[in-house]
This record gives sequence, C-alpha cells and structure tokens, in this order.
Amino acid sequence: MSAAPDKIVVTARGIISSLGIGHEAHIAAIRAEESGLRYPEILSTRHAREFVLGEVRMDNPGLMAHLGIPPNAPGYTRTTLLSMCAMQDLLKEVPLEVLRNGNLALINANTVGGMSVVENMYLSFLEEHTPEELCQWLDTLDCAESTEHIARFFGLKPAMATISTACSSSANSMIVGARMLRHGLADFVIAGGGDALSRFTLNGFNSLKNLDRDPCKPFDEHRNGLNLGEGAGYVLLERESSALERGARILAVLSGFSNHNDAYHPTAPSPDGSGALRTMKGALEHAGLAASEIDYINAHGTATLNNDLAEGKAIQDLWEGRPPAFSSTKAFTGHTLAAAGVVEAILSIGAMHSGWILPNLNNSSPMQELSIRATIQGSSGNLKNVMSNSFGFGGNNVSLIFSKL
Amino acid sequence: MDDLKVALKQQIIDSLNLQGMKPEDIDDNAPLFGEGLGLDSIDSLELMVLLERTYGIKIEDAREGRKVLTSVQTMADYIQANKQNA
Amino acid sequence: MRQELFIQSAVAISPQLSFDRNNFLKPAVYQQNGKLFAVDIEYRNYISPVAIRRMSRIMQMTISTAMEALKVAGISSPDAIITGTGRGGVTDMEHFVKDMIRLDEGPMNPTQFIQSTYNSPNGWIAMQSTSTGYNQTYVHRGSSFELALLDAQMMMAETGEPLHILAGCFDELTEEYYFIRGKRDYWKKPAIPTNELYQHGDTPGTIAGEGTAFFVLSNRPGNAVAKIVDLRILYNAKEQNLHALIKNTLDEAGLAPEAISLVLIGDNGDSRQRAYYQDLTTLFPEDVLGRFKHLSGEFDTAMGFAVWLAEHIIRTGIVPEECQNNRKTESDIRHILILNHYILGTASILLMSRS
Repeated sequence: MSAAPDKIVVTARGIISSLGIGHEAHIAAIRAEESGLRYPEILSTRHAREFVLGEVRMDNPGLMAHLGIPPNAPGYTRTTLLSMCAMQDLLKEVPLEVLRNGNLALINANTVGGMSVVENMYLSFLEEHTPEELCQWLDTLDCAESTEHIARFFGLKPAMATISTACSSSANSMIVGARMLRHGLADFVIAGGGDALSRFTLNGFNSLKNLDRDPCKPFDEHRNGLNLGEGAGYVLLERESSALERGARILAVLSGFSNHNDAYHPTAPSPDGSGALRTMKGALEHAGLAASEIDYINAHGTATLNNDLAEGKAIQDLWEGRPPAFSSTKAFTGHTLAAAGVVEAILSIGAMHSGWILPNLNNSSPMQELSIRATIQGSSGNLKNVMSNSFGFGGNNVSLIFSKL
Repeated sequence: MDDLKVALKQQIIDSLNLQGMKPEDIDDNAPLFGEGLGLDSIDSLELMVLLERTYGIKIEDAREGRKVLTSVQTMADYIQANKQNA
Repeated sequence: MRQELFIQSAVAISPQLSFDRNNFLKPAVYQQNGKLFAVDIEYRNYISPVAIRRMSRIMQMTISTAMEALKVAGISSPDAIITGTGRGGVTDMEHFVKDMIRLDEGPMNPTQFIQSTYNSPNGWIAMQSTSTGYNQTYVHRGSSFELALLDAQMMMAETGEPLHILAGCFDELTEEYYFIRGKRDYWKKPAIPTNELYQHGDTPGTIAGEGTAFFVLSNRPGNAVAKIVDLRILYNAKEQNLHALIKNTLDEAGLAPEAISLVLIGDNGDSRQRAYYQDLTTLFPEDVLGRFKHLSGEFDTAMGFAVWLAEHIIRTGIVPEECQNNRKTESDIRHILILNHYILGTASILLMSRS
C-alpha cells in the first residue's frame, strides 16, 4: 500500500493591510465589522476626495521606523516596505534561523513594482541630469526588485521568483510554491505578495470605470465597482513531514488548487461564469473533495458588474443553488491586487481557526440574476474546508482550498 | 452638425486606430458596437476618453455611455446638447 | 531541474533574421549605436485587424511568435501557457505614466493601462488559441524565462499524460528605456558597433537588445530534434561555484565534458561581469565556446534567443561562425550547454541534447 502524499501545510503567516498588521488584528476588525476603507491621506492624488481606498495607516517613514530602517536609507519603495512588514509579521511564527539554514524559496508577487514611488519622479529620469538623490530609484520599477530587496534585508539567500498575473498573483505564488515543495526544489517556501497604492493603478482602474466612489457592495444588485486597496501577505509552506519533525504548529493544509484561463476577454470574465466554474471545480478535483464538503467560500467578489455576476453564477451552478456560506471581504480591505490572493487566504485560515464565517458588507439587495445570496452576517461555523478565489485580468483564474489538518 | 460628424468620425478612427478606414466609410446611423463596426467595451471607454479630452464632456457611468455611443449620430447629438448646456 | 522538455517548435523574433530561419545570419545584423532592435515581421498575418489596432509593438511581436510556434508544432490549443518577461509592456507603461502626469490625472486611455500589465500577452494568446489551461507569467529580471521553463519542467513531471506547453519570453527596448538605464551604467559609453562587443571587454557596460522567443514543449519526443535535459537557476550567482555546478550537471546527465559540442556563453562584453566566465577552458577546449549576445543584445530574457539558437544549431548541425566560435573541426552536434547571466546578478545553466 503506498503512503499518502506528504501534505503541503501552512506553518506561519504575516499580513498587513488597511485593517492593520497581523492576522489577529484582521479577524478582530472583521468581527467588529470595521472596514479599512477611507479617503486616502498618504497617497497624493487629484482623486483623493473622490474614491475611498484601503490605505495602510502608515506612511513610508512610518513603515521604515516600524522595520527599524534608518530614515535616510535609500531605495525602499512602498511596495517593498509593505512586503517587509508582512514578512516581519510572519517571522513571529517561525524562527529566522529555520529559514536561513533551510533550502528556502521566496515566491513573491506584485503588479507594478515600485511604481508608487517612480511615478512621482519619472519625468526627472528623462532629463539629461537626474538629481543624485533620485538615482537610488532608477532600478526600483520592476517587479523583482522588491523580492530581492526582501531577501537581502532579512539575510536570506533563497531561490526566488516573482509572479505578476494581476489580481491572482499571490494566489499563484502559493501554487508555484506548493509545487516546488512537491518536487523537492525547496524545503521551505515563503509565498505571497504585496502591492502599494499608486496613482498609476488608481487612474488605470478609473479609466476602466471600474471604481466605486463609496465603499463597494459585493454581490449587491446596486454594486458600482471596486475599491482599490494596498497590503501584503506571506505564508510559510512546507511539507507536513518537515513541519512535524521540527514541531511546528500546522495552521492549515493547502489541500487543493487550480489555475485555469478564462480565454474570453482581456479584462472581463466569461459572463456565464464558465471560467470561474472551471477553476473552482478544478480545485475541488485536485483536493479530492466534493463541493458539499466546502464550508465557506471567500469569493473574489470585487463588486464590479462583471465579476460578481460571473462568479455568482459559477457558485450557483457548481453548488446547484445550495452553496456554503460565501462572502467577499473586499469591502473590508479594498482590492489589494497582487496581495489579494494571500491576504484573503490568511483571512480564510483565520476564519477556520476562529470558527467565524466572515460577513459580506454593504449588501442590502441581493442580485436579481442569482437565486443565492452572500452571507451578510458574521456567524459561528465549523469550517473544515474553505475555498478562496482570485480572478485576474487576462483571464487568470485561481482557486485555493485550505483545510483543517 | 455635418462638420462635427465628419470631424468626429476621423477622431473615432484615430482614437481606435481603425487602420485603413476613412470618415466616408462610417454611416451616421450605423451601430458602432455589436454588429456594425464590431467595437467592444474597451473601445467604448476609449470613446468616452475622446469625448472628455476633445469636447470636455464627461460621462459618469458605463451604462449611460453605451446609450450615447450607439452611433455617430447619437454621439454628435449628445455633444451638441451638452455643449449648449455648458 | 532534471526533466526532459522535447522542443516541438522554436520561434524567435530578434534583432537577427531569425523568424524565417532560412534567412538566419544571411546576413548577420549589426548596428553602430549599441542598440539592437528586433526585425519586425508582418504581424497582421497572425492577429485579426480588430485586435491588432490597439496593440503595442511588443504585444504584436509576442502574440505572433507564440501563434507561429503553435502552428509549426501543429498544436491549436496548448495545455498551458507559461511566459517570462523582465520589463513587460514598456511602451504602454511609458505612455500611461507620462499622460497621467501631463493631464494631471485627467481622462486616461484604458488600453495602455491594460496592455502594461505583465500577463496581458498571456491573456491574448490564451484567447487566440482557446487555451483554458494553466497560465503563468514570471517577472524576475534575468531568470524570468528560466522560471517559465522550470515551471514547464514541474508540470511535465506532474503528469503521465501527453502535454504540450507553450513557453516563451518577451522584452522590448525603447529609446527611453535605453536612456534611463544608461544612467545606471548598463551600456558602453560611448556606444559601440555591436559586432565589436567583445573587443571592448575591458570596459564596463554592454549593448541593448530585445526580442521574443516561444517554444512548444512536450513530454513525448514527437517531431522534436532537440530536448532540454537539465536547467539550473543560480539565484545568488556570485557566491556559487559555476564550475562545480557545470560538472554536477554533466555528471547527472552521464556526460563527460568532451561530449559537449558547444558551450554558448552569455558574455555581454561588460568588464565587470566577464570574470563569471573565466577559466572555462579548464573544463572545455577554447574552440567549443561560442557567444550570442552580440547578435541578440543584452536584456532580461536574452536566454530565449540562446535556447532558440541552440535548437537551430542542433537542427542544422552547423555552428555559424558568427557565434564567435573558433571551431577547428566540424563535429556532430549532440549536446549544447548554455551558460547565461544577466547584468543584475542572476545566472543559469541549461543542457540541451539532440532528441
């Protein structure tokens, strides 16, 4: 009789968003139904009084102070700082020595690299003479700069990868990380991602007319679009045998995952939800679970007209009109873009541990096209298997399933 | 009105990079979306940018936009109406 | 990772005449000003008029290369699409940022924003090939394409079923990008003729390039003439013992150094990095070493060109003299080793063999 495959487990997590730092702060805010959305006070934009955003409550000097970085240290973009804060949070649950001594991989993700800083000085890059103090930013735009900076900062020498698939990026980090563990390419994987608010992104989404000025209303008949957010998150993944051997606390099992392309449109999902359905089904098959065994779905639920219709239909079809409790937490954090996958995975794991079904805020009128409705009230539940969806531009659809051991 | 429509057609061609097309090729009342020119949702957003940058007219939501952008005629009518109100 | 990837097709748009491989190096293309822009093809042959009108040059280049790779392999819909890019849609990003500043965050074009996202080409390729399978984009400087290949290797190892994976890379060069990176001393100053790259190996800087390369990879031999056998990504290249890793790669493949017909090295003529390739003659005879960056230029995903070139050499059985290779005798091309690095610190070893 063959042994069961060594499960992929989560043994540490770190998170920062507009709800604060740490998984406890996040679950507490959600239980208190306190959203992190507000008019931005740090991002300097013409639209500052037009759109509520999920802005982290610390400016860059504040983040640097939190990390113990001298205030004039060069070249730390907000993306990198947020990511480092999430890493620092993760290190509360695993000794740094374990990561330094082990065969480690760091799988990071972001959508626009250091753009939040570079956009403010881009024109000076184009001048014949760029002032010396701005030259530190010249190579901070690309996505990998954060990844390499994080590794250096924490004295790590891991295998590294950076993924950029829009809104599903950090969900993909976890998939790639899990597979690297399976193939023995690493023994420990830090997987996740981070994104900072930027004018580039804000104006980009505004050009798509995808933004709600007010707090978003996922799965509501009168939804108007999404709110952008920022944040970062990382999980430590390892094989179960490794976790048991070092006596680590196992937070959850990554029991299934799926990445399927919608192949429909550059930014919109297939309206009948077939893309989302294919992905969710794929995750269930990968986990060897029946749909009825899922106790909660953390939906992508951006509150755009297109996403919620497609995803809602997919959930309705896959569960034949009787889905488990499902909600979007984006009215709490905003849409944290590349970080969304891992932030929401950590929230889902938090929901499992606290036995609390996370509510979907701002939902007063159910969608007329659907017979199902998001969970609008937080409540207790025995959550053994939870699913988390992240559907990105370019039809990049990912579903993850976490389970109690 | 006719001058406006000719100019508008050229601006649509330029803004959407409809290579090889000339204003004469676009009928005033031909549907721009779906069957007609076969434009899609991203094109409708681009046309709203055109209206805002060239004519100073801002369409607040995508649903209203689709009605205005039905044809060159409806766009021209909207421009005329909103210019008068400005 | 040691995992065979049979190359069913290999297509590249590059500063050379690579797209139609019958014209490759007829003649070699060199430029006076240190910048190697890719030779455009007729993109309208691959992309519908409705779609192409919005697309930037790099988007057209990427999609065309991918669709041609599928066509040559006889695959209409790949099981997975995995790509790597160091810088993504640079032109679109430049336009959007500058418009945003110029218009003080006024009405912005959505097309440029959408196309500046790194996985936008993957989305288009998936739509055009109706591929609903796995889809991934790596954006990690000089390992971007290598990570895509590694992902493909993992996928092949995960299944016993026949698989066709479309793996590729893309990066573009713009005047603005060249100008900005010049401030970081990427390039030779003053700029040099690209065919003289190695004659200036005692000064810092290199030459710029761009291009796309796509491959249909499978876990069955099929019509493949060549296969990738092993790939090692060196994440902290400066601290690693390249020679030991090369020896280990060969040992695991059961090959003696003499079995290697050609070692293509990613020497980019930059004096600050040439030491990486020193003393290779202790492992391999001098006439086995060849170079390619004077043909492709230096950019994050130049490895794609190197892999294309290696497959071409195995296919034709000839090492072109333009590869700076001082071959004394013609020999059977059975195994090629590619040793590449990128200016920002990553490196890789790839072993390719005749299939």
